[in-house]
Amino acid sequence: MFGSSAGTSRVADVSSGKNKVLGKSNSLARQTAMDPSEVEFLAEKETVKIIPNFSLDKIYLIGGDLGPFNPGLPVDVPVWLALNFKQRQKCRIVPPAWMDVEKLEEIRELERKEDTFAPVPSPYYMELTKLLLNYASDNIPKADEIRTLVKDIWDTRIAKLRLSADSFISQLEAHAKLDNLTLMEINTIRAFLLDSLNCMYKLRSNLQPGSSKGQFTDY
Amino acid sequence: MPCERKPMRYGHSEGHTEVCFDDSGKFIVTCGNDGDVRIWEGLDDDDPKFITVGEKAYSLALKNGKLVTASSNNTVQIHTFPDGDPDGILTRFTTNATHVTFNSSGSRVAAGSSDFMVKVVEVSDSSQQKTLRGHEAPVLSVTFDPKDDFLASASCDGSVVVWNIEEQSQLISWPLLQKTNDVSNAKSLCRLAWQPATAKFLAVPVETKVHLYERGTWDHVSTLSDDLQTQLINVVAWSPCGRFLAAGSVGGSLTVWDVNSKLCVERQKHEKGFTVCGLAWNPSGSQVAYTDTEGCLGLLDGLSTSTSTKQAPTKKTAKEYDDLFDDDDDDRLMDEGLSDTNSPVKKPVAGGDDDDDDDDFLVPATGRVRNRGAILDDENSLDTGSLKVGWDKFRDDEDSSAAAPAAPPLVPLRPVYEGPRPSAPQKAFQPGSTPAHLTHRFMMWNSVGIVRGYNDEQDNAIDVEFHDTAVHHAMHLTNSLGHTVADLSQEAVLLACPSTDELASKLQCFHFSSWDTNKEWMVDLPPGEDVRALCLGQGWAAVATSALMLRLFSIGGVQKEIFSLPGNVVCMVGHGEQLLIVYHRAPGFDGEQALGVQLLQIGGRKKQLMNGEPLPLSHKSHLSWLGFTAEGTPCYVDSDGVVRMLNRGLGNTWTPVCNTRETCKSKSDHYWVVGIHENPQQLRCIPCKGSRYPPTLPRPAVAILPFKLPLCQTSTEKGLMEEQYWRSVLFHNHFSFLSSSGYEVDEDGRTQSQKEQQELLMKMFALSCKLEREFRCVELAELMTQNVVTLAIRYASRSRRMVLAQRLSEIALEKANQIQEEEPEEQEEEPEYAAVRRPSGYEVTGGRQGNRRQQEEEEERVQELGDEEEEDAPETEEEAETRKRVNPFVKEAASPVTPSLTPIGKVGRANPFKVLGSGKPSSSSAQPRVTNILDNMTSSRKSSQLSGSAGKPNKGPVLKPLAPRAKAKTQSTLLQMTKKKTQEITQPAAEQQKPAEAPPPASPADNTENKRLLPKTGFQFWLEENRKSITADHPDLEETDVIKEAMGRFRTLSAEERLSWTERAKGQTGEADLKKRKRAGGGGGGGNEHGQAEADENSAKKKKCLDPSAKLSAFAFNKN
Repeated sequence: MFGSSAGTSRVADVSSGKNKVLGKSNSLARQTAMDPSEVEFLAEKETVKIIPNFSLDKIYLIGGDLGPFNPGLPVDVPVWLALNFKQRQKCRIVPPAWMDVEKLEEIRELERKEDTFAPVPSPYYMELTKLLLNYASDNIPKADEIRTLVKDIWDTRIAKLRLSADSFISQLEAHAKLDNLTLMEINTIRAFLLDSLNCMYKLRSNLQPGSSKGQFTDY
Repeated sequence: MPCERKPMRYGHSEGHTEVCFDDSGKFIVTCGNDGDVRIWEGLDDDDPKFITVGEKAYSLALKNGKLVTASSNNTVQIHTFPDGDPDGILTRFTTNATHVTFNSSGSRVAAGSSDFMVKVVEVSDSSQQKTLRGHEAPVLSVTFDPKDDFLASASCDGSVVVWNIEEQSQLISWPLLQKTNDVSNAKSLCRLAWQPATAKFLAVPVETKVHLYERGTWDHVSTLSDDLQTQLINVVAWSPCGRFLAAGSVGGSLTVWDVNSKLCVERQKHEKGFTVCGLAWNPSGSQVAYTDTEGCLGLLDGLSTSTSTKQAPTKKTAKEYDDLFDDDDDDRLMDEGLSDTNSPVKKPVAGGDDDDDDDDFLVPATGRVRNRGAILDDENSLDTGSLKVGWDKFRDDEDSSAAAPAAPPLVPLRPVYEGPRPSAPQKAFQPGSTPAHLTHRFMMWNSVGIVRGYNDEQDNAIDVEFHDTAVHHAMHLTNSLGHTVADLSQEAVLLACPSTDELASKLQCFHFSSWDTNKEWMVDLPPGEDVRALCLGQGWAAVATSALMLRLFSIGGVQKEIFSLPGNVVCMVGHGEQLLIVYHRAPGFDGEQALGVQLLQIGGRKKQLMNGEPLPLSHKSHLSWLGFTAEGTPCYVDSDGVVRMLNRGLGNTWTPVCNTRETCKSKSDHYWVVGIHENPQQLRCIPCKGSRYPPTLPRPAVAILPFKLPLCQTSTEKGLMEEQYWRSVLFHNHFSFLSSSGYEVDEDGRTQSQKEQQELLMKMFALSCKLEREFRCVELAELMTQNVVTLAIRYASRSRRMVLAQRLSEIALEKANQIQEEEPEEQEEEPEYAAVRRPSGYEVTGGRQGNRRQQEEEEERVQELGDEEEEDAPETEEEAETRKRVNPFVKEAASPVTPSLTPIGKVGRANPFKVLGSGKPSSSSAQPRVTNILDNMTSSRKSSQLSGSAGKPNKGPVLKPLAPRAKAKTQSTLLQMTKKKTQEITQPAAEQQKPAEAPPPASPADNTENKRLLPKTGFQFWLEENRKSITADHPDLEETDVIKEAMGRFRTLSAEERLSWTERAKGQTGEADLKKRKRAGGGGGGGNEHGQAEADENSAKKKKCLDPSAKLSAFAFNKN
């Protein structure tokens, strides 16, 4: 999988890749780009604090033991379980510390100020925001403001990403380094970027005299 | 100058108020935040006339039948007096005017405003205005020169300015005040006053003193001060004669000075200590009316100005000297500094939340006068005179002593009493509730749920919410009765309200767990009796009232016992059958509280467990939480954040177990305790940033704090282990309490903590050994159980400490003897216990068995410990096994927080994910790995009989459990000599067992039945062979008892032997026997069939193999 660590990624190798990449690139790009729902699935492994309203002994799962659940006492569980409990009205979700209007405003300002990508509060900030706000907005104070702020941050970052992709292509760079990108962000741009780079490579190699035209006409 | 302070009466809604007299002195006129001007015909006027002048009235002035008010629509308007008809608008500002005043003739009005301006307007022609500009902040107050030349004003920019009215210019400006940005933030309203008639002095309240400035020279000629005056002066007012000056402070004190002598001639306190913001002399000079920021009106009557006039000449000479001194110490900067540090400055508008909380809810003994006033004159104390008589009397004494020296006037007023001051007794409260004056508050937060009270304009309601929705769904109750106290349990919600003029104090109970349709009952208390505190237990409710009465009710509403309390209740809590009451034992002194505690057992066996013992509190602190742990041990928290728990193991003493303030980051942070659990050790509390109490919104989250006994030197290894050990011991106490009162006990937790304790002891022992502290080693050994002592002996002998080992063996002998002595007693007690706790006896006894097992396990564990430390490697095979065996322990140790079941009324939790042990309901099933089904089958009675039975006939197999162990490890040189003895002793035991090995007699019919049902298990084989010996020992036993007895015996066999029996059952007997013999021979025991010690080492592993067959056999017998 492409981004096991979502913090940093390189768009680099894609364009500097030689023919072997290009051969399969179309199908490969489609394969490697993760569906947003898949990223969301990964995000559901993040833990979140809940306050259960039932009591249950420790539960033993493959991923580790959870609980014990005492009514009224906060406990850490994965997001998928938290949402499941929440939908069954078995708990209240305590929003993560960064899901706070003031903190998000700070992050937004930083994001706007910096040209590069600023560190995000959580590698799955977008997914978590969406999940928690969709299912547990009643447990999150100022849910609407948070939604707007996170969307703002997201938009700013995606705009930056597009801008950097644009300059990457127009300046014919061989590689670039982008830090602090999240998995979701990488995957939103991956399919498009790879496909277009392939296309451009094709066009460019056709233009250049003496290049091995034959290869590509066959293709 | 004696005077009478009339009781305060309600005048306006909360907020700034002002007061003045009409020209005749017949009416008192007040204005307030509600926008009304009220005209009172004396203080007793119950139906004052009122004129509505706007939404809010900020200031008023009255002269010549014209009433001038500053209202919230930024105007200064005139009404006729007393008719109240509007008479036009005098002037307007861009924001509201803050103070209006007439000149002496009533022809002009001066008004200061928040827009920094002062305007002087002719009353007859409002177009003639003079505007005085120059202040750089809102104007606080204005006053006319009686001769109409000048005007003085004070402003938030810190200056006091004298203006020339005609020239509209500043004459002089003194920077006297603290700068603020708004009137509402100003510490003092700084109401200036110009001496009437002579117009000689301008009085300016500065900090806690009043400065007098001379007209013309504008020199600061003198200062009026009072040593007892510690708060900022808010308003000053001259008497009509110009001789006296009255001042009201933000702390509610009223002071009158004789200006000539500069002595304080009268001191009074506002009865509740609220900020005095309006002050006026009656034109007759005998009364002073005052109002406070809470909208109340008060009156000082009988101020006789005549008495002191006589004295005036005599003092005149002193005046010059006074002036001198006054000038000297008039270092303004210093004053400011002093007042800042010494007097907690209160805003005139009640706004400081945290402080107010303290004031109104609990009584922190900070020694602040305001607080004391607030508590001592608590309105409740009026109707419960009997309770507070002592206090009132004391207070009266204080007052009269303060007043007494004043009788010969002009003698400085000093209280005579110099000794320790009584501290204000703290008010009754419900543990787990936030102060009653908050509009949104927690009425109760406990382990069951949350009761929230809302009391604002829209709603007066109570929300009940349960942590566990399985208990009951959330409830919303309208609070039409005005309930102030609440408690919540698994069965009911209990609410109570104080009495009002018409209605008696009521107790209301929502008994939601009732199975009939009537879920609610209500009880009226007798007239004159108010509910002070209440609590719920299991099946009962208790109410402590203002009549020093404790009333018990059943949960269904039946009145039960009633008894008197020795003192005013502070709070009480219930848990199960226990009731804990804390009350005032006596007046405390110097900020201390003297509380007493009673612990009662209600229910089946009623008794008093603690009878009025003093409750230890930290220095100068009060009680802030009282409760039981989930396991039922009383504990409490004081305002210093120290959590103390009852140590039942040490004669009901209180042990501090945690200091919550130590974990606070900032000084103003607190932890608000909501619950305590002993197993796992958890202090559940809500962190409150910068306050004592949490707000209801956003919903606070519970945090968990660890416990820590305040032992010395916990940074060292020794101190750390000691702390862990004693904490473990303390938190272990509840097990014995619970089992003795017949509750089900979490045995795993119990064995776990016992094991932990013994391990810690062994570690400490090893540490002391390393440090060559042999005496300490012996002391530690005395705390150990007998089995662990034997390990200690081995450790000592291996590390070549023979003297130590010898002493330890003496201890071991002693302990063994003790056990021997205890056993018969236990047997005698046993039936008695069983009778008492029939319903739960099964679990309890099962637990005892567990103890035994635990001890064995633990021995192994500690043994390993010793082995590893010694690096005295035994056989490699054994080592490998050791490693294997460590693992399960490691896992358990890593998660010591085993799910604890609260002891009573707990709904069993079904874990859908958990496969292991799901079939077994009892708590002992949590550790299925080590649970042998035999454990549950054999009762402790049998097992104790068993251990006795092996001994009894032989008269003294004292060291039976000890002996084989010593034998197994023959390296221990010292034990050689004891070994001989033990061998001799165990010999008969062996002989006794030998016939048991003899070929089996014909087994009874039911056994053959078993054979048909199932293939024989090892136990059955063994039973067949040994049945005879059992029946011989206990001829009176019935069949089932025989089997139980047999099981008990079978269990005492070594695992290996059992294995061999099992294998024999499988038809591999020959091989197993061989193996067994080999092992027995290798152990050097020579014919002793108890190769137990060695076998024990393997037992953990072997037990697993054994389990299935044991289960099968158990199953077979269940069928039977």
